[in-house]
Amino acid sequence: MLKITPAELKSIAQYIHDISGIYLDQSKSYLFETRLSSIAEELGCSSYLALYDKARRDPGKIIERQIIDAISTNETLFFRDNGPFELLKHKILPEIIDLRTPSSPRLKTNIKIWSAASSTGQELYSVAMTIKDLIGTQMDNFNFKLLGTDISDNVVKQASYGKYNKFEIERGLPRPTLQKHFTLFGDSWKVKDELRAMVNFRKLNLMLPFTGLGKFDIILCRNVAIYFTLADRKKLFNKLADSLTDDGFLIIGSTESLTGICPRFVPKRHLKAIFYQKKT
Amino acid sequence: MNNLTILVVDDDPVIRRLLEQRLLKENYEVLLAEDGYVGNDLLSGNHVDVVLTDLMMPGDIGGIEVLEFAKGLERNIEVILITAHSSVDTAVEAMKKGASDYLEKPINFTELFLRLEKIATMRSLLRSAEDLRQAMDVTESTAAETIQNLEVMTSTLQIKVDSVETILSNESLASEDKVSDALDILQEIS
Repeated sequence: MLKITPAELKSIAQYIHDISGIYLDQSKSYLFETRLSSIAEELGCSSYLALYDKARRDPGKIIERQIIDAISTNETLFFRDNGPFELLKHKILPEIIDLRTPSSPRLKTNIKIWSAASSTGQELYSVAMTIKDLIGTQMDNFNFKLLGTDISDNVVKQASYGKYNKFEIERGLPRPTLQKHFTLFGDSWKVKDELRAMVNFRKLNLMLPFTGLGKFDIILCRNVAIYFTLADRKKLFNKLADSLTDDGFLIIGSTESLTGICPRFVPKRHLKAIFYQKKT
Repeated sequence: MNNLTILVVDDDPVIRRLLEQRLLKENYEVLLAEDGYVGNDLLSGNHVDVVLTDLMMPGDIGGIEVLEFAKGLERNIEVILITAHSSVDTAVEAMKKGASDYLEKPINFTELFLRLEKIATMRSLLRSAEDLRQAMDVTESTAAETIQNLEVMTSTLQIKVDSVETILSNESLASEDKVSDALDILQEIS
């Protein structure tokens, strides 16, 4: 495997931060090597500096996309941590549904939910399944709009396709849920059309302005800010506060904290889980 | 000692016997079925890691049906089909339905053992990954509890500190009242 020099490490780490916001610890050179060496070799680069130069000069930004795909962590699973989904089921969704129930049965209200780092889609589909299982027949009164965004093109594509292999399915999906919401597709499983129709996925760099997204009733931003610097985390959660309705709900990763990061949010506890709302 | 339990489903007693002997010699656990019916019964009543089934068998239950039954029962079961050269297309179709692999007759045992070893290695890697995940889950949930408790505590303290600040900066209160009110709030903390 191609070895990385300290000087290259500095330039590449800075470059990765610039294009993605991801801050990589420069003491972990193996992380750069294991994730980038195959791209460097594939492109015929004899050093990481050559890869860096080539990536910066690539007008189609194809190499930049490859680097982002390689460096971003896509670890995810259906119903990860479970806590947030219990929270959605027992507290957040009933409350939002109460707040947004239309005055006339002929009207439909939008309920917008955003998974800000959706990876291969498991989190957003888990939210969609929770909604469907909770309100089933009442679905017609609401227009649920679920958006998943991620910086990596590859995972956005995979999420949109909604197909999962047996290893992905085995992580977190109980058999009855699988049979209710998925159809067997060869040795893999595909999300059923009605669930697929509730969600949308697109590419988004959380470091850039959130133009055209509008406001959301529920935002999930779990286990992504951990890869950002403190300054970037502050900016991110401030922007998320702007993107959340005044009575909306924010869910972050179970080991994350907003203390000292965004005073606009107040933590609230429901059973064993925590969610955040904007200070009134 | 190989940990895999292998179910052999074949209507040909010679092939069954041969597979049994060779697999036992390699220290695999072996179950034998002379047709798809017995095969499915054995699958229902036993833990099986790998099914080695003939594609074409007399009766309504052929290799494809055994494959479908096994996968419906337990997604983790690996199914290897044994096929005559003329049925290779059907075997390829079966791979699309979830079969792990197919072997052409006459069975090349070196090839078979290589595939079984691969399955065993894959299973052991998956097991390690699962162990790691479980260890990570325990660490994560313990950390989450601590962090979330601290998060709520810090937020509660912040509200108290803000109230004390409001009291102390209230010009309309006498000094002794400010101190007394502030102390009241601070005492609530403990």
